[in-house]
Amino acid sequence: MESQSVIICRCEEVDLKQLLETAERFSCSSRELKLRSRAGMGYCGGRTCRLLVDSIVQQLTDTQTSNEIPLKHQPPVRPVTFQNLGGGLS
Amino acid sequence: MTDVLIVGAGPAGLSAAISCAERGLQVQVIDEFMRPGGRLLGQLYQETDGSWWNGIEEAAKLQDKAASLGVVLKLGISVIDLNQSEDGWIVYTSTGILKAPALLLATGAAETACPIPGWTLPGVMSIGAAQVMTNVHRVRVGMRGVIVGINVLSMAIAHELELAGIKIAAMMLPAKNMINKDVGDPRKVMQSIVRLGHLAPSPLLRLGSGLMRYSSLQSLGLHLYPKRGFKVWGIPVQLRKAAVEIEGIEKVESVRVANISPEGDIVPSTSRSLPVDFVCMAGGLYPLAELAAVAGCPFRYVPELGGHVPLHNARMETPLAGLFVAGNITGIESAKIAAAQGSIAGLSIAAFHQVSGTEEDLLESIQNLRITREKASIQFHPQVADGRRRLESMFSENFS
Repeated sequence: MESQSVIICRCEEVDLKQLLETAERFSCSSRELKLRSRAGMGYCGGRTCRLLVDSIVQQLTDTQTSNEIPLKHQPPVRPVTFQNLGGGLS
Repeated sequence: MTDVLIVGAGPAGLSAAISCAERGLQVQVIDEFMRPGGRLLGQLYQETDGSWWNGIEEAAKLQDKAASLGVVLKLGISVIDLNQSEDGWIVYTSTGILKAPALLLATGAAETACPIPGWTLPGVMSIGAAQVMTNVHRVRVGMRGVIVGINVLSMAIAHELELAGIKIAAMMLPAKNMINKDVGDPRKVMQSIVRLGHLAPSPLLRLGSGLMRYSSLQSLGLHLYPKRGFKVWGIPVQLRKAAVEIEGIEKVESVRVANISPEGDIVPSTSRSLPVDFVCMAGGLYPLAELAAVAGCPFRYVPELGGHVPLHNARMETPLAGLFVAGNITGIESAKIAAAQGSIAGLSIAAFHQVSGTEEDLLESIQNLRITREKASIQFHPQVADGRRRLESMFSENFS
């Protein structure tokens, strides 16, 4: 198997090749790469691939890690049922 | 009325709960898992003095003590969002909304992925998952497996799996690629494990506690590294072999293993398939700080602590009023350090609630934590104390 076919985002099944091609074609930030590829937007909320997506963008753009978290965390940080979303929360 | 809400019932959260309750506060602790104890539950290892550390027993002690002090513990609850109001913190959970003037985030760490082709096949799991299945759920993860990724955590868990009668054919590195640069680099891995020399029955690795700290000798060690690896607890630890791919149709059937140079590059025409029925991936840990980020807490990037951590001081206070942190959310260290941080956070929260006479205890507990850290035989990162000092000075530069 070619190493670029390795899956990076399991939830959305995005592989390294797709991420590299998208990042190079659009000169993406982490956030843009996430939005274009859906990597990090799946069920786990990016807990598995967030750091990998950041690392790929950092290497392609040759930037240092900043104090800010590149891919912002947004609520809900866990999957929510429709019951809760619809006001089931007391 | 709850004085303090604690998210996470691991060593940090439970120790904080005890320390708050001992000073008269009403404490509520919530945790996502169905059992309290957090990562303590998986731990079983022998101390350097020969005694055994049984995490399940340690968790039970903390739980009993917290219960005897009237701490309310609720399990199986996830926090999905939170925000700050004039009266304190509003925390949205999977079962309702909770409010408290003080909030402690003790959410621990998550595992870093180290993908290689085939890592999504059934039968591949993170090393932490294998630990929980084995020691908590008592489920056999497989008959014969390989651990990909060599670090403090995976060495400890490899031993636990062996104790449970599960055969580990080998521990090796993931093949180096752009996303596995550090965990796939034999030199960097060597640097991070040389301090574990006392665990190793082999003379070359045991040198780690002394001579092998010099980088020239580490290189020599890698060049001389035996082809069959060193055996630690009967498990071959292979710093000169890498897992190139996990193979299988429906599930894991084998791992393709190749020899690597001291730089981590694959030696051509050396790969062969090693038959296994499970694989553990061990890419290390990073602080699980998503709730601190959602709360609006500033962050700092401190590699010695495992990555981005919420800005906090030695009193475990964040710059946000009433928001405290303790345990691995503040940096990757052992359960004992997490518990000590929890006790400090508890005293800080008591001080926040103006409980009299906490200041002296607080200063003493901060000093004790520093001593514990300097003496610790196992460090997840060798420069963790430097990282802590840097973070504390960044806090005081900005917020005091």
